[in-house]
This record gives sequence, C-alpha cells and structure tokens, in this order.
Amino acid sequence: MKKVVTVGIGGRSFVIDEDAYQKLERYLARFRQKTGEGSEAVDIMEDLEQRIAELFYEELSTKGEVVNISMVNRVISQLGMPDGTAAEDSSDFGSESAQDGGNQTAHKRLYRDPDNRVIGGVCSGLGHYLNIDMVLIRVVFAVSLFLGGLGFWAYIIFWIVAPQAMTAAQKCEMRGLAVTAENLRKVSSYK
Amino acid sequence: MSDINTDNVKSQMRKGVLEYCILSILNNNDAYASSLIEELKVAKMIVVEGTLYPLLTRQKNQGLLSYRWEESPQGPPRKYYSITERGKELLSEMDGAWRELVETIDLIRNKKTQ
Repeated sequence: MKKVVTVGIGGRSFVIDEDAYQKLERYLARFRQKTGEGSEAVDIMEDLEQRIAELFYEELSTKGEVVNISMVNRVISQLGMPDGTAAEDSSDFGSESAQDGGNQTAHKRLYRDPDNRVIGGVCSGLGHYLNIDMVLIRVVFAVSLFLGGLGFWAYIIFWIVAPQAMTAAQKCEMRGLAVTAENLRKVSSYK
Repeated sequence: MSDINTDNVKSQMRKGVLEYCILSILNNNDAYASSLIEELKVAKMIVVEGTLYPLLTRQKNQGLLSYRWEESPQGPPRKYYSITERGKELLSEMDGAWRELVETIDLIRNKKTQ
C-alpha cells in the first residue's frame, strides 16, 4: 500500500505515488534550474510538462491507473536535461551540487556553525564564509589572545553579530550552497 | 578514454546541425513536438528529448517557427509547430552552407588520399 498524490501535468490530472511525485518534482526543479531564467523558461517548461503528460497517458492506457516510480524513471531517462546530458539520479548529486554551490557564493552569509564549534562556532563559521580551514582561523584567534586582547574582542563581537545557523536552509547559506532539496539533505547529514 | 572522446565529438556535430534538422523536418510538414521527437530519434539526432524544447522555444522567439493549438483525439489540445517565411529563408541559407561544408570536407579528404 502506498500513499498517492493527485497532480496536474500539462493540463491533465494524474494520480501518482508519493515517492514518484517527489522524484518528478526534483527532476523538474533541476531541469528548470538548467534552463535558466526569463520568459523562455515558461514556454520550455510548458512543453516539457505536456510531453511528460503524453508519455504518462500512453503508458497508463495500457496498465493501471497510478503513475509509479519506474514510469517516472523511464520518462526522466527519456527526456534528460536541456543540455543533452542524462538526468542523474538523486544518489549521485554529490559532485553536481558541489559545483552548483561554487557558482552561488553570492548567497553566502556569515553564520556561527553549531555543528563544528569549540566555543561559539565563530571560527568554523568564518571558515565556511572565507573558504579557509577553520583550524587555521582558530590558531590565528588563539595566537591573538597573547598579542593584546584584540582577538578576544573580535571573537566576542563576531559571536554577537553573527547568528547561529539553526535550520538546514541557514546551513546551506553558511556554506554558500543553493537551498535545494539535495543540498538540504546533504547539509543535515553533516551532524 | 578514446570512446568517450569520439562520442563527444559526434554529439557536438549533431548539436551543430540540430536546428537545421528541425527546420528541415518542419519544412516538409507541420508537426507536433512528439512526432518531431520521433523523427529526430529515428535519425539518431537526439539522445534525450530535453535538448529539443529549449531549441524550439528559441526558434519560435526568433520568428523562425510558429505554433498553433490543435485538438487531439485524446486529452487536451497539443502544440502544432510550423515553419514561418523567415524560417524558410534561413533554411535555404543553411542548405547552401551545408552543401558548401560537405564539398569542403570532401575536398580536404580527397586531397589527403592522393
């Protein structure tokens, strides 16, 4: 027994298994991401959805009423990505999302990292922000303690100013990753 | 490694002439996106369908193609693509360029064997 969802695709309604629905949604989000912005994207996504609806319709007419994960997988491998590459499975998103994250440093924000903290998570947060090994930053702060109290006060100020990254979305921002389903999952598994 | 490279070269070549192919097919007869895909797949021009949609939309926005909605026997109406006058003009230019390209390559290859 499986939970199902009713969705509208390309002007038709389908009953679809929940896992299949999530997979399809992730695929569409990635396709959209690769298509880029602008009015063209709307047309392209419309065409794509129409095609998906057509393929589901053809297959459903021969068997069953519910769209399942294997149908979604087949459709995804048939459609692929706009740049002609095959759509990878969510399991091998690792390298891909790391690349995406690299391009999206604009969204990076300074947070304190509660998962890798020694005192307040300031050094590890700065490490993420500046892309420097957090150990180095800790060493710099530790050394600065003996060279007048500047490092100490800087640490306190950072502690006050930078919020702690509580949610998975904030942890994505802290690392400069785009807030997508894969990244959220990846980030929450760091704990 | 060499296998991957030849595949890459082939797919680059196909990509280059894909727009030409779309215009050529539509010049023969108007088509639904799905029948267009069918034809291109049989010709081994595309591997995944996703590549086609951005191209169609771009060509439409450039005024090379137009589409109309047509009733379909099953389900909601479908997009029916056809070539415009501008598209035909570009196509005839492309025809010329293609012939030139084939001739040039023949020439180069023949020279090499002599």
